Amino acid sequence: MLPVLILGALVILFGGGLIFLVSFLGPSKPSAEKSMPYECGLVGVEKRDTKVSVKYYLVAILFILFDIEVIFMYPWAIIYKSNLAEAGTFLFIEMMFFMAILIFGLFYIWKAGALDWE
Amino acid sequence: MFSSYDIVFYLLALFALFSAFGVVTSASPIYSAFFLVLAMMDIACLFVMLGAFFIAGVQLIVYAGAVVVLFVMVLMLFNLHQETEAFSRGTISGMAKLGVTGLLCGILATTLFHFASTAKTIAAEIGPEESTEKLAKLLFSDYLFGFEAISILILVVAVGAVALSQLKGGTHAKS
Amino acid sequence: MGGDAFEVTVNLVKMAVIFLMMVQMVPILVWAERRGSAFIQNRFGPNRVGPLGLTQLLADAVKFIMKEEFVPGKATALLFYAAPVVALIPAALSLAAIPYSVPVHVEAFGEYGPYVFNIQGYEAGLGILFILSVSSLGAYSILMAGYGSANKYSLMGALRASAQMVSYELALSLSVIGVVLIYGTLNLSEIIKLQEGVKFGLPNWGILYQPLGFVLFFSCAFAECNRLPFDLSEAEGELVAGFHTEYGGFKMLLFFMGEYGHMMVASCLATIFYFGGYNIPYCTPTEVLQILETKFASSTVASLLTSLVFLISFLIKVGFFLWLFIWVRWTLPRFRYDQLMNLGWKKMLPWSLFNLILTAAAMLILKG
Repeated sequence: MLPVLILGALVILFGGGLIFLVSFLGPSKPSAEKSMPYECGLVGVEKRDTKVSVKYYLVAILFILFDIEVIFMYPWAIIYKSNLAEAGTFLFIEMMFFMAILIFGLFYIWKAGALDWE
Repeated sequence: MFSSYDIVFYLLALFALFSAFGVVTSASPIYSAFFLVLAMMDIACLFVMLGAFFIAGVQLIVYAGAVVVLFVMVLMLFNLHQETEAFSRGTISGMAKLGVTGLLCGILATTLFHFASTAKTIAAEIGPEESTEKLAKLLFSDYLFGFEAISILILVVAVGAVALSQLKGGTHAKS
Repeated sequence: MGGDAFEVTVNLVKMAVIFLMMVQMVPILVWAERRGSAFIQNRFGPNRVGPLGLTQLLADAVKFIMKEEFVPGKATALLFYAAPVVALIPAALSLAAIPYSVPVHVEAFGEYGPYVFNIQGYEAGLGILFILSVSSLGAYSILMAGYGSANKYSLMGALRASAQMVSYELALSLSVIGVVLIYGTLNLSEIIKLQEGVKFGLPNWGILYQPLGFVLFFSCAFAECNRLPFDLSEAEGELVAGFHTEYGGFKMLLFFMGEYGHMMVASCLATIFYFGGYNIPYCTPTEVLQILETKFASSTVASLLTSLVFLISFLIKVGFFLWLFIWVRWTLPRFRYDQLMNLGWKKMLPWSLFNLILTAAAMLILKG
């Protein structure tokens, strides 16, 4: 546990420290043009409340669901090989039930058009 | 004096409290979401301290890596403006806040005093691979029904999400 | 972490060495990319600065350091500055959990007992789970960069990039589970040890058992690292430069360090899962150790040299995959975003599920 935390702290110190140091080395001449958001040189147009697609929400939720499925497969994969002799068929069929329901879910999502346009 | 385990635990706990405080008191919702990520990562570290390595990995993959990504993506889509104040004001809401906080603190204190003596004897010293194998064996023997029921739950959520996205007036509405 | 001060120092030194190694590999990779791409495109790459143009990136780094540091007007400064630093963390943590070579056995001298050095930052018992969980945090640096830039094109680029990363992470995890099925363990050192020896005259590597899994894993690795043909989020000429439009100078360099770091992790994992890790075909570490022990008196030196030999073999394989990354980038055209998401959800996911079912069924039939 501690090595992970120490390495994380080291990376943050390295990155943050270097950015901090570099901010002293370069010139510092802020101007109005430099602070504008970049839009290929054109003046930015602020549109209010553009309608954003719901696709991103769907992708994220479907990812959560299938990620949960993957999480359950990790322990199954660990004990599958060592228990092939005594419980192999049982483990296989259990997981196939689980996967079948989820594959049916994927099929439904596909047919309902939630995976289109992306 | 404190052992290194204690020191790391108190540091992690302090950081968790700090992140949770940040979630609740941030003025911008996106900052709250990022504090939530910090809190999730901290909880994963606490799971590792307890010896539950697989659960720590699951916490990071599912919670920090999927659920909060969903929160952050959706919050960014909404283009919310920064709130002027983090907390609402008023007598009744103030009393309600104090009451709920008192209740939660009471429950927490009771649990801690009740279980304090038996806490450290629970975590056994077995390595990560062994504990994960034991977890796997339990999952597929004693808790088999729960495991299969989860697949039905996931299916229900998937159908629900797709149905929600096709409500009238949305971008994906069925015309 | 280790009770005594010696182990603590050893661990700290290993952390620092691995992190610095990651930082130092980036100039070499960038040089390889620029020269390699130049040769593919039938032109010279940088060849003026230093021999063979090797110090080109040193010159670039100096230029980056001297550039002006600016924050766009309406940006949230904390997120804007934190994003490049956060981009480094997943790659650095993953690289520290990978076994690079055979452990070195140092025999006792004086009163110091015999010690085993792992050529690995830290021994993660559930190595694969750790690396995948830390890599899934990579989406945050993109989202922070996109939001912190206060530029709606950056935001859209960031959302698309994170949706892409998230979609391909599924197929990646599923192909990794295929490997875990075959070897029955999540520990990377164990997986490498199980790939020693020969089978049917070929080296007993993972690719014999999971060819489809390898193709899926490597393709998804491209998408995870935001490399062509999946680099729509950074495409020049499309969404301006995507989520790192507003970044310049040193912060941009940190983003690229993170991207190359992810490439290194993906190449190392591909080597470990499918190509035997540090194993050399047709000989095992114990054989090499015995050969070397007959030549050198001290077993410490023999162990050290064995470790070195296998480290070189590992680096050669990883280098091949890194070259493959660069080669594919400059050969294939870019995917359109809807093609990309279609590929991820409608082709990669079903194929990886099929791979998994096939592997499990084959294992059941052949050994049950």
